[in-house]
Amino acid sequence: MSAPGITESTQTIVRARAGDAEAWGDLYREYAPAIYRFCRRALPTKEDAEDATMDIFMKVRDKLNQYDASRPFTAWLYKVAANYCWDLLRRRKVRQDKETEDLDELPLEHPDPDQLEQLIEKRTSEEVRSALQTLSPRARMALVLRYYSDMSYDEIADSLGVRRAFVGVVLLRARHEMRHALEGKAALTAGAS
Amino acid sequence: MKHLDEMTCVLYLEGQLDRTRAQELMAHTQECGECKVLLRALERESRLLTRAMLEVDEPLPARLAAFQERARRSLQWVWMVTFGLAASGIYAVYTSYVEPMQQRFEQAGFGGTNLLGLLIFQGAFWKGWQSMISLVEVLALLTMAGCGALVFRRWRRRGSAVALIMAGLCAVISMFAVPAGAVEVRKGETVEVRKDENIKGDMFFTGHRISVAGTVDGDVYAFSQDVEVSGHITGDLITGAQTVRVSGTVDGNIRGFSNTVTIAGTVGRNLMAWAQVVNIDPQGKVGRSVTTFTQTLGIEGNVGGDVVAFNQTLRISGTIGGGIEARGERLVLESTAVVNGPVKFEGKKPADVSEGAKLVFGPVQFSELKTEHKHDSGVWYYFWRALWSAAFVLYGLVLIYLMPSFSKESSRACENVGASLGIGVLAGISTPIAAALVCATVIGIPLGIASLMLWLTMIFTAQVVVGTVIGRWILGPTEDLWGRIGRMALGIVVLGVIVAVLHQIAFVEFLFKVAIALWGFGALGIALYKRFRPGVVASSVAPAFS
Repeated sequence: MSAPGITESTQTIVRARAGDAEAWGDLYREYAPAIYRFCRRALPTKEDAEDATMDIFMKVRDKLNQYDASRPFTAWLYKVAANYCWDLLRRRKVRQDKETEDLDELPLEHPDPDQLEQLIEKRTSEEVRSALQTLSPRARMALVLRYYSDMSYDEIADSLGVRRAFVGVVLLRARHEMRHALEGKAALTAGAS
Repeated sequence: MKHLDEMTCVLYLEGQLDRTRAQELMAHTQECGECKVLLRALERESRLLTRAMLEVDEPLPARLAAFQERARRSLQWVWMVTFGLAASGIYAVYTSYVEPMQQRFEQAGFGGTNLLGLLIFQGAFWKGWQSMISLVEVLALLTMAGCGALVFRRWRRRGSAVALIMAGLCAVISMFAVPAGAVEVRKGETVEVRKDENIKGDMFFTGHRISVAGTVDGDVYAFSQDVEVSGHITGDLITGAQTVRVSGTVDGNIRGFSNTVTIAGTVGRNLMAWAQVVNIDPQGKVGRSVTTFTQTLGIEGNVGGDVVAFNQTLRISGTIGGGIEARGERLVLESTAVVNGPVKFEGKKPADVSEGAKLVFGPVQFSELKTEHKHDSGVWYYFWRALWSAAFVLYGLVLIYLMPSFSKESSRACENVGASLGIGVLAGISTPIAAALVCATVIGIPLGIASLMLWLTMIFTAQVVVGTVIGRWILGPTEDLWGRIGRMALGIVVLGVIVAVLHQIAFVEFLFKVAIALWGFGALGIALYKRFRPGVVASSVAPAFS
């Protein structure tokens, strides 16, 4: 797993672990933008994302000694961020309310391939990001973990606290939620024009 | 022809299908146009999602860009204020309490000591002051080793700081226990060293009545109802008894906790006693100084050095080789009294000096004893409260930083108010009693002293634990280390404010302080129990981010 624009700075990490304030500053400057984007995708508001980014880096600073240097730093960093964001959402009691439980029970409708292709063709990245904010927290979190952090199914299962076999279903439901959101936008656009 | 389901297509695109299933899917899409379109659409959907996620759509907010520098600056400010207040507090405590006390102890024959020596004063009960110096050195080394172990633990993330501290405590206990092994022990209803007996080495006595009529070439530790020394002890006499009477000779020091101490014989060096009544008979002689914490001290005999007395009444009709420094209600110098040094008395009324009394250094220097300490009223009081709160914050900060897991467990236990308070009342009161009781055995003395030290540490730490919980109740829970430290600081400030308000009603303030101490003590006790109970392996490292 790696993040865009991020290169592993082994020496910097070693120095930061030893308490070097400059090295810590370098780490922050290097990784803060990526973690902020992660939080921006995963959490409902910009303010939430800013607060979360600061808290995550405070956590990272305290827990840096626990980082296993044999694993990629970015993987560990995203794991910390994922745990933080998911805990935050869970504390707000929006993680699994009754409504989404019911949705989980519904069978997924098989898509029409041509309609799906047309929908994907017309939508932009910006619209997808905008639609992301309307999804249920779990769907949003699953998509961010998979398509932003490039986490494996095992890591996603661990972060979201679901069985590994269920990760595919969570992701597929998240895609369906996204399509519904994008279709809604399309309808709105059509109505406006 | 049966079409592929969407789930299988997504799993294929995500690389989650095994090789056989993947080949089957590929073969199917070669023949089925509808499934091929679906697979292509899903793949494009994956690419769109990835692109939407990874695009840099907005810059890092200025607040975040400035966060690191601001946090660093704000932290520096907090540290400076905290350290400044704590340093002022420590200096004020030292100059107001420790230094004068230290001077008095030096006058009492404990010269060449230092603050650490005074803090572990119990060690004087072991082998006299000379061996205390080596004890202080060993303790200092142990402390350094403990700190080193903590640093090592943080570096290696192995074990627990609490376990290391407990191990350090055990090391101290074992160190105390070493000399105990060389002591000869005698127990019984009546324990006696007969007149014709000559014992080489240290002796430890327990019994209803203890009599030393012979010679002991070493130290004597005697714990009994009555202790009588009519023989000769070449070392020190360390005793805890209802009545102690020395009509023989003790070449070294006498140190005792008693109801009544009577010296009718000779003490070669110093006498130090915590007792209700201490009397040095006309034929009694103390070679050096006398230090007492008693209700009544009477000196009819001869004292070679200084007298330092914290008594209700001090009556002198004998000869004092040095000076007198006394604090209490009454000082009476009879007509036969001779004092060869300065006499300082802090009391409620001037000393009662008879006409014939001979004071070589002139009249008694009297100063009135103020019932209310200057630090207990007015602006001073609030200044002191602020200093103490700052000192507690600093102490708590170190504790939370060094023992994050244990501090979290203690706070969690503390939130269970009923259980913590219950355990606190039970253990907080019974521990010092139990510690005093176990001191009646040879192995018990080091164990008792170590227990008391642990008890004191826990009582001192209790406010930090309670403060952390109060902070959590106000600001809400957090897993962040600095968040927890902040909550602890806020809680301690809140406690300080409550105590300052309750200060107007003295008894309520006292009750509140006791309740806080017992509550925190109970929480610490529960956390320690959970950590060390048999069969449970406590995790010292929070697993959330590993």
